[in-house]
Amino acid sequence: MADGNQVHASWDREAILSLFDPASGRLDRRIYDDEGIYQLELQRIFARGWNFMCHESQIPNSGDYFINYIGEDQVIVVRDGEGQVNVLLNTCRHRGNALCRAEQGNAKSFVCSYHGWNYALNGDLIGVPGLKTYYRGDFDKSQLGLAKAAKVESHLGFYFATLDPAAPSLHDFLGDVGRSGLGMVAAYGDVIVLDGIQKNVIDCNWKIAVDNLFDWYHVMYSHASANSTGFVDLAKILQPDNQLVMLGEYGHGIGGPGIPEAMQAQLDMIGDEQRAEMSKSTPFRLRPASAKDLMGATGVRSLGHPNIFPNLWITLNGMQLCLRLPRGAGATELWWFTVVPKDSSPEQRRNAVRSATHLFGPAGLLEQDDGENWSQSTRASRGVVSRSLGHNLQMGLGHDQAIAGPDGGAAIATCISEHGQRWLYQSWTEWLAAKDWADLKANHSAPPQGTV
Amino acid sequence: MSALDTARPAPGASHQDLMLLQHQVEQYLYDEAALLDARRYRDWLALIAEDMHYWMPIRRTVTQSDIAAEFTKIGDMAFFDDDRDMLEMRVKKLEAGSAWSEDPPSRSRHFVSNVRVVEVAGDEITAECCFCLYRTRLNTEVDAWTGRRIDGLRRTKEGFLLTRRHLFLDQTLIRSTNMSTLF
Repeated sequence: MADGNQVHASWDREAILSLFDPASGRLDRRIYDDEGIYQLELQRIFARGWNFMCHESQIPNSGDYFINYIGEDQVIVVRDGEGQVNVLLNTCRHRGNALCRAEQGNAKSFVCSYHGWNYALNGDLIGVPGLKTYYRGDFDKSQLGLAKAAKVESHLGFYFATLDPAAPSLHDFLGDVGRSGLGMVAAYGDVIVLDGIQKNVIDCNWKIAVDNLFDWYHVMYSHASANSTGFVDLAKILQPDNQLVMLGEYGHGIGGPGIPEAMQAQLDMIGDEQRAEMSKSTPFRLRPASAKDLMGATGVRSLGHPNIFPNLWITLNGMQLCLRLPRGAGATELWWFTVVPKDSSPEQRRNAVRSATHLFGPAGLLEQDDGENWSQSTRASRGVVSRSLGHNLQMGLGHDQAIAGPDGGAAIATCISEHGQRWLYQSWTEWLAAKDWADLKANHSAPPQGTV
Repeated sequence: MSALDTARPAPGASHQDLMLLQHQVEQYLYDEAALLDARRYRDWLALIAEDMHYWMPIRRTVTQSDIAAEFTKIGDMAFFDDDRDMLEMRVKKLEAGSAWSEDPPSRSRHFVSNVRVVEVAGDEITAECCFCLYRTRLNTEVDAWTGRRIDGLRRTKEGFLLTRRHLFLDQTLIRSTNMSTLF
C-alpha cells in the first residue's frame, strides 16, 4: 500500500481481535514480543492517536523546546514567537538528520548540523546554504518545511499532538474519562511541572507497564518492602473494598481506590474549609468543591490512577504523570513529570520533590520493585511454550455492574479487580484492527453498561 | 578501621598534614564503599550524620548555550533527595525480606578514584571524587553508573561522619530498570 500502512501478513483483523478474549480475560502473550504487532502499534495507535507532549509551564517562552516522541517519531515541541506551540518532526527534510540533539532548551531556530539547513520555530525552512550558487536558485523552500503534527491541542495546559489529520478533537478523544483524569492533576488549582523529568529505560513491553497502573492487586505484595519501611501505609491508601473503575471511550480508564457514593454525597454538602480540616485525618487531601467541574460527578470520587490511552499514567491523586514510551517491542522508557500548584511555597515544593523521589522514579521505594516484574513477564513471552499459555485477566469478570454516572461516564464500584486491564486490552485490539479513524469510529466498543 | 581514627591535623598547614588528611579521607571513602559492597547497610548507616543530604540531581542532554541547565538544582526534581531518615528507610527496605528488586541481591562494586580534598573548615571537610558503581543482577543485568561526587565529611571523636553526598551522574536517560542500590 502506498500509505506505508501495510499490514503484517499474519495479523489481519480477525487475528488481531483474537489476541484478547473479553469473555474469558485470556490475553495472548505474543502481544509483548511480536515485531509485526509492534509495527502495527506504531502506525495504528501512536501515529493515529493523541500523544502527550508536555505541559505549558515547561516551555513558557518563545524558543523554549522539549523533545518527545510519537511512537518512534521524535518530535520537537516548541513555542514560537507568536506564542503558538508547534510539534515538529525532528528530522531534516534534506537527509533526515536530527535537527535537535538536546532533550530540552531554548533556540532561535533549528539549524541542521549536516549541511546547515535552517528552520524557523514554526517549522518553515528559512535558510539553505548555497541556494543561489549550488542549487542555482532552482529550489522551493516552501515545500520543504519540517513535517508537523497534524493537530496540536491542549487541555488544562497539557499539550497533546496527533499525526493523523482525521483524528477527532482532543476534547472528543479524551472524552469524560480522559478529561476527568487530567482534571485530577489540576483539582487543587493550576499546576506547573517542576524542572527535571526523570527518565529511565526498562526491558519490558510498554503495555505491561501501562496495564500495571490499573493493577491494585500487586500493591500489597510487590510493594511489601516499601510498606515495611513506614514511609507509606499502603493499607490506608489501597481501600481494597472501595475500588472505583471508570471505563472511557477509546480505551481511557481510571482504576483504584474510590470514595463511596454516599460519602461523596456528604462531602458535597460541606465547604472547602471544612474539607481542608477533615483532610488531616484522611490518607488523601480532600478535593475542593471546584474539582467536580474538572473531574465530573463520578470522576471526583476517584483516588486512583487514570490512564490516558495509550500511555499516559496519572499517579496517585495526580501528583505526577508518567509516559511509557515504546523503544521497540522489548523496551520502554519511563518519563516522570512532577507537578506542584502554581502558587506553591518552597516548602510545598520540597514536599512534592521528596514524595515523588521517594515513591516513584527508578529509585522510588515503590517503583524499584515494578521493573523487574515487567521485564521478566516480557522475557517469558519469548519461550515457545511459555508464550502459548496466555495471561489470565479474569478477576471480577461477570461479578460487577457498570453504571452510567450523571455525567455520562460508566463506573464500576467494586473490590480489587481486573476490569481496567480488560478494557485496556479490548480497546487496544480495536485500535489495532481498525485501518483508519473512520474504521475505528465505526468499530470500537462503547464503555460497557450492565454486567461486566 | 584505623583509618577512621582522627589525628586532627591543622588544615592547610604542612605537606605532611595534607598528606595525612588525604590518606584519612581516602581510607574512609574506601572503607565506606566496602561496607556497601559487603551489604553491611546498618554499619554503613552508622557513618551517616543526622544532617545528611544525599542527592542526585537529574542531568539533561543540553546544548552548550543551555549548559547552565545541565543539572537540576536543589529544590527541583532529582533522582535522590534524601535525609538520614530516608536513607534508613532505604536500608529497612533492603532488610525487609521482600525487597524483590534486591532479592536475589545485586552484586555491587563501588570504585572511588581521583579523590581531592577541596575544602577544610574546622571539622568540616569537603572532598570530591570520581565514582563508578558497577552492579550486576540475576544473570544478565549489568549496570555501570559513573559520575562526579561531592562528599561532606565531619570529624568526630569516633571518626568521620558523612554529612553530604551529592552525585552528578554521567547518564541523562538512566539505562537501568531501577536504582535500588545505594551509591
